[in-house]
Amino acid sequence: MPRLAPSSPLNGFRQEFDRLEITEITDLALVSIASPQGREAELASAVSGAYGIALPPVGSSVEADAGEPRFLGLQPGQCFALFERQDEGPVDIIARKLSDAGYYTDQSDSWAVLRVSGTRCREALERICPLDLHPQTFVTGAVARTVMEHLGVIIFRDGEDSFLLLSARSSAPSFLHAVVTSAKNIQ
Amino acid sequence: MIINHPLLGPRDASEFVYLGDASLIDRPDWQAKDAQQQFHDYLYLRDNPAGAHRELWFHEQGDRSWLVVTRDTITHEITNVELARDVALQRGRGR
Amino acid sequence: MSQTHRIDGGLLDRSRALRFTFNGTSLEGYAGDTLASALIANGVKLVGRSFKYHRPRGIFTAGSEEPNALVTLRRDGHGEPNTRATVTELFDGLVASSQNHRGPLRYDLMAVNDYLAPFLSAGFYYKTFMWPKAFWEKLYEPVIRSSAGLGRLSGKADPDIYDKGFLHCDILIIGAGPAGLCAALSAARSGARVILADEDFRFGGRLNTETMAVAGTSGADWAQQAVAELASMDNVRLMPRTTIYGAYDHGIYGALERRTDHLAESAGKPRQVLWRIYSKRAILCAGATERSIAFGNNDRPGIMLAGSVRAYANRWAALPGKRIAVFTNNDDGWRTASDLAAHGADIAAIVDTRDRAPLEAPAGATVAMGAYVTDTKGRHGLKSITLSNGTTIECDCLAVSGGWSPNVHLTCHQRDKPQWRDDIAGFVPGPDLPVGMRVAGAANGALTLAAALREGHEQAHAAAEELGFKPASIALPAAEDEAVETSAFFHVKADGPRAWIDLQNDVTAKDVKLSHQEGFRSVEHLKRYTTLGMATDQGKTANLLGLSVMAECNGRSIPETGTTIFRPPYTPVAIGALAGRSRGKAFRPTRLTTSHKSAEERDAVFVEAGQWLRAQWFPEKGETHWRESVDREAVRVRESVGICDVTTLGKIDIQGRDAAEFLNRVYSNGFAKLPVGKVRYGLMLREDGMVMDDGTTARLGENHFVMTTTTANAVSVFRHLEFCRQCLWPGLDVHLISATEQWAQFAVAGPHSRDLLRKVVDPEFDLSNEAFPFMACGEVTVFDGTPSRLFRISFSGELAYEIAVPARYGDAMIRALMDVGEEFGVVPYGTEALSVLRIEKGHPVANELCGQTTARDLGLERMVSKKKDCIGNTLSERSHLNREDGLALMGFAPVMRNEHLSAGAHFTSRDKPATTENDEGWMTSVAYSPTLGHSIGLGFIARGRDRVGEIVQAADPLRGKTIEVRIVSPHFVDPEGERQRA
Repeated sequence: MPRLAPSSPLNGFRQEFDRLEITEITDLALVSIASPQGREAELASAVSGAYGIALPPVGSSVEADAGEPRFLGLQPGQCFALFERQDEGPVDIIARKLSDAGYYTDQSDSWAVLRVSGTRCREALERICPLDLHPQTFVTGAVARTVMEHLGVIIFRDGEDSFLLLSARSSAPSFLHAVVTSAKNIQ
Repeated sequence: MIINHPLLGPRDASEFVYLGDASLIDRPDWQAKDAQQQFHDYLYLRDNPAGAHRELWFHEQGDRSWLVVTRDTITHEITNVELARDVALQRGRGR
Repeated sequence: MSQTHRIDGGLLDRSRALRFTFNGTSLEGYAGDTLASALIANGVKLVGRSFKYHRPRGIFTAGSEEPNALVTLRRDGHGEPNTRATVTELFDGLVASSQNHRGPLRYDLMAVNDYLAPFLSAGFYYKTFMWPKAFWEKLYEPVIRSSAGLGRLSGKADPDIYDKGFLHCDILIIGAGPAGLCAALSAARSGARVILADEDFRFGGRLNTETMAVAGTSGADWAQQAVAELASMDNVRLMPRTTIYGAYDHGIYGALERRTDHLAESAGKPRQVLWRIYSKRAILCAGATERSIAFGNNDRPGIMLAGSVRAYANRWAALPGKRIAVFTNNDDGWRTASDLAAHGADIAAIVDTRDRAPLEAPAGATVAMGAYVTDTKGRHGLKSITLSNGTTIECDCLAVSGGWSPNVHLTCHQRDKPQWRDDIAGFVPGPDLPVGMRVAGAANGALTLAAALREGHEQAHAAAEELGFKPASIALPAAEDEAVETSAFFHVKADGPRAWIDLQNDVTAKDVKLSHQEGFRSVEHLKRYTTLGMATDQGKTANLLGLSVMAECNGRSIPETGTTIFRPPYTPVAIGALAGRSRGKAFRPTRLTTSHKSAEERDAVFVEAGQWLRAQWFPEKGETHWRESVDREAVRVRESVGICDVTTLGKIDIQGRDAAEFLNRVYSNGFAKLPVGKVRYGLMLREDGMVMDDGTTARLGENHFVMTTTTANAVSVFRHLEFCRQCLWPGLDVHLISATEQWAQFAVAGPHSRDLLRKVVDPEFDLSNEAFPFMACGEVTVFDGTPSRLFRISFSGELAYEIAVPARYGDAMIRALMDVGEEFGVVPYGTEALSVLRIEKGHPVANELCGQTTARDLGLERMVSKKKDCIGNTLSERSHLNREDGLALMGFAPVMRNEHLSAGAHFTSRDKPATTENDEGWMTSVAYSPTLGHSIGLGFIARGRDRVGEIVQAADPLRGKTIEVRIVSPHFVDPEGERQRA
């Protein structure tokens, strides 16, 4: 038998609108890192040793050097490492760097990832996102988990006019419909 | 309603799930002599105040924190929001 | 027909003529018109029929308070009944028709109701149609419903689309009149994020309808300048055509923005957007609404509010009459007379209830002081009025002013009680405003222009300061404080013809008196008995009149009589807007498994399981009945091998030094000693001792477990575990994260399952029974290196595995499994066969774990450890839950083999009638067992375990069927579990 071929939740969706673009991001690896209770300092020092950064507080993110993960603070004691997918298993990559300082769970296949970008992206997101995305309130690098059209979504601002949206893989078509409808409705 | 999350700031109540009285943190000791009575009271006896009420909310569509929210049941005014974990630790809960 | 009543001036674009039709007649107006102003310009007086009496009615107001001029706009599915012509922006091609009449509007056959008025007074339903009782539903109600009412729905699906959204601001300003514009300028210049919303398509409010100057220019021009400045600031969002319809908790406001209502076609864009606005502060600048005066026959077409008559002339260059009389209790009515006179209208008379004339009357007008109107004439349009001094004055329009009521509606949405102010004879906002709300201008009782501008500025200044902004110093635009003295004269106390109070619900002064006479004297009773203020306009022009009549009956003042308060929405919101996009398939999200596409290709029939779509069965060629497919699938699993997608089960990744201890406390059975590489069935109780959920949990490492939950409880179990972790045992080192979406998981079940998996799992992994026995688990690789998790667990009772691959490989995996399984005759099986197999095996699911059953009821009492603390342990020991005659989960088989059991049937002894008193339990699950060749069931029955072999009745009154069943073991197939261990 040949090896199994991977498929992305939205088959690499991409569509352009007026000053707005919706693109599926398919090459990301995501690993959740939980810090062991009472040994938070060990994880912190492992992270700073390996990546030269401090773990971000909930709601913000921090990026290590180019090619290294970006860490998203999602909940107390837990963050996501976001990095480009490689041949090696995502958990193995993190564990190789941080040893057993944290608890790691592969989340790479749990999410469909959309990038919504362009100068009209906030206008489109207003239709589904309850959070205030004003650039002074939700700054570049900010991250939050919220709900859009009944679906849990992690929203991460990776630029002035660019957001990454992560929503559950199984409901990805419904989520895409929600985002695309927003784009169409503002045009 | 808006719940002013201690870590995240104001968030819409629609991101949260309501449980009930914050006294649910005070789970009795199973080995107490009158454990059954204590568990009965813990589970079924609730105050129903017209006024300030400490209650548990779960930020399900958010950071997954359980919160203790002090809310006026008449006006919906929220005067305090704490991480339930901190409250539990203060109330002597541990392992 | 030409625009016979069009005059010069106004805020219209005369270069853009717009054609429209009303009741089939083609008419013309201009850009800037409303439907109402265009109808007036064309001399149309009669626009509808009243709710109950089918009285001819005309346009009464120039705003959203309109009670009369309700029309149906557009056609077919696009049709929108009960639209107020006064706020309908005219567009080219608009089609409108009048409502609530049979036959032509002018000759409504239902007008006979007007002659039946003596029988149709307040409460007439309750009095008249009491007997005979059976007539109510069949005769009276349908007749009443068809004769009374508003417009009709098309009955077709609305082809337009609607949307919703979320907005955030520091300061929300509601209303863009003088106070609102001043507030917006002030707030915006301080740097605050401002939203300015107004229901009108043109900002300015009364500035557009009055002739008073602001800062040395016309009010309308000043408004345009203010809007231009605001539009240039990027911290300001201007929202015309937007109604703030509700004030909710903590500064949240509901807003309805009409995006394309003013266009002929929506062009695929949302027609309306329902916004949720989060504000830190809000300033209500909603202005005031003029009220009427109740007098005989005061509802004829041509009788209008004075400020509205003035508005039509000033803003829309449309004169509602050629010869106009004014009836007023206040100074403002006089300004209508002078403005109209300036437009060249013939002012027939000024009738003022007060004794002293405040201003000079236009030349030629009869002035009657201390007088009032007692009656009017003109069936389809006003012809003359009769005064209290006996004179009759011919006129085709009567402008009535009963003074102005502050628009306090939104201040009441959190139960604030408005307070009476004698000087303006009206209610102003009370002390308990919604959090963060301030009120400025006429809404606050500041009825003069200069005061409105000043209050708008002051309130915005204060709000900005509270939020930490540095308010800019601003020169208030110069304006005058015009004369606004008023008196509290609201109804003519005479036994003349009927005097209308609530035009939309056809409530007259007599109805209010009747209500008093019959004991409904509190304002809340008055409202409900007479329906006063309960129409779609919420009595905006009527409530105070009703209160004044009731106050007079009570012999008390209006403030002593009290007032009702308002609820959202301020003006009606279409259901379509409330639904937004949540229509059809978009009503809720759909979740698909990774094998969905492959199942579709196999023509699977799908079933909704919560949000999931799961394959229910896979029909093969020639199968005509679902049972054929399901039986085949179940038999193939028992005889060979089948594959079922079980991804929908909740999967929770649990890690931490205390993970084992944590599981030991949330499951009723022991988990502390589960070895690495093993799976255990776990039973989860609620604290009250009832079963909450069940599933298997695998130990992947010393500190690493993966728990499965039922599909339905995946979310609630996760929530419960987080509660336990954070609130009960915050000192444990345990961490949870959902892994449901991460893994595509397939059950591979049947005697050939191991053979199949040997072709899937890479050869270095030993799958022999010795190396990988029942309840083993481990991380393996499949198809040359794809990481995978393998669990040897069985829901069907057969030799079975569940194999999980990262979801990205799910689609490839199911196809590969089917390919390599071909030599064993593998079948995909759906939820129906899954159900058959588990019922044959006696495994409980949600039907049995219904929230009312205990471990003991399920025969699992040995799974509740008495040696440890766990959720639900203590209360599960309550004596009542452990009665000797308690329920037990048993199997049931029909005595006559060919009979079919039905789920939901209740059990009674054979010798007793099937009544509630004799109820002994119920059937939870049934299936046809292809293995046994007859119908089988699971169910709960009292003392079941002592009654094996007994025959009882299973009564199913819903399906009208009672059959005899034998109580048997719930394990129909392989009760010793030898197959799954093979």
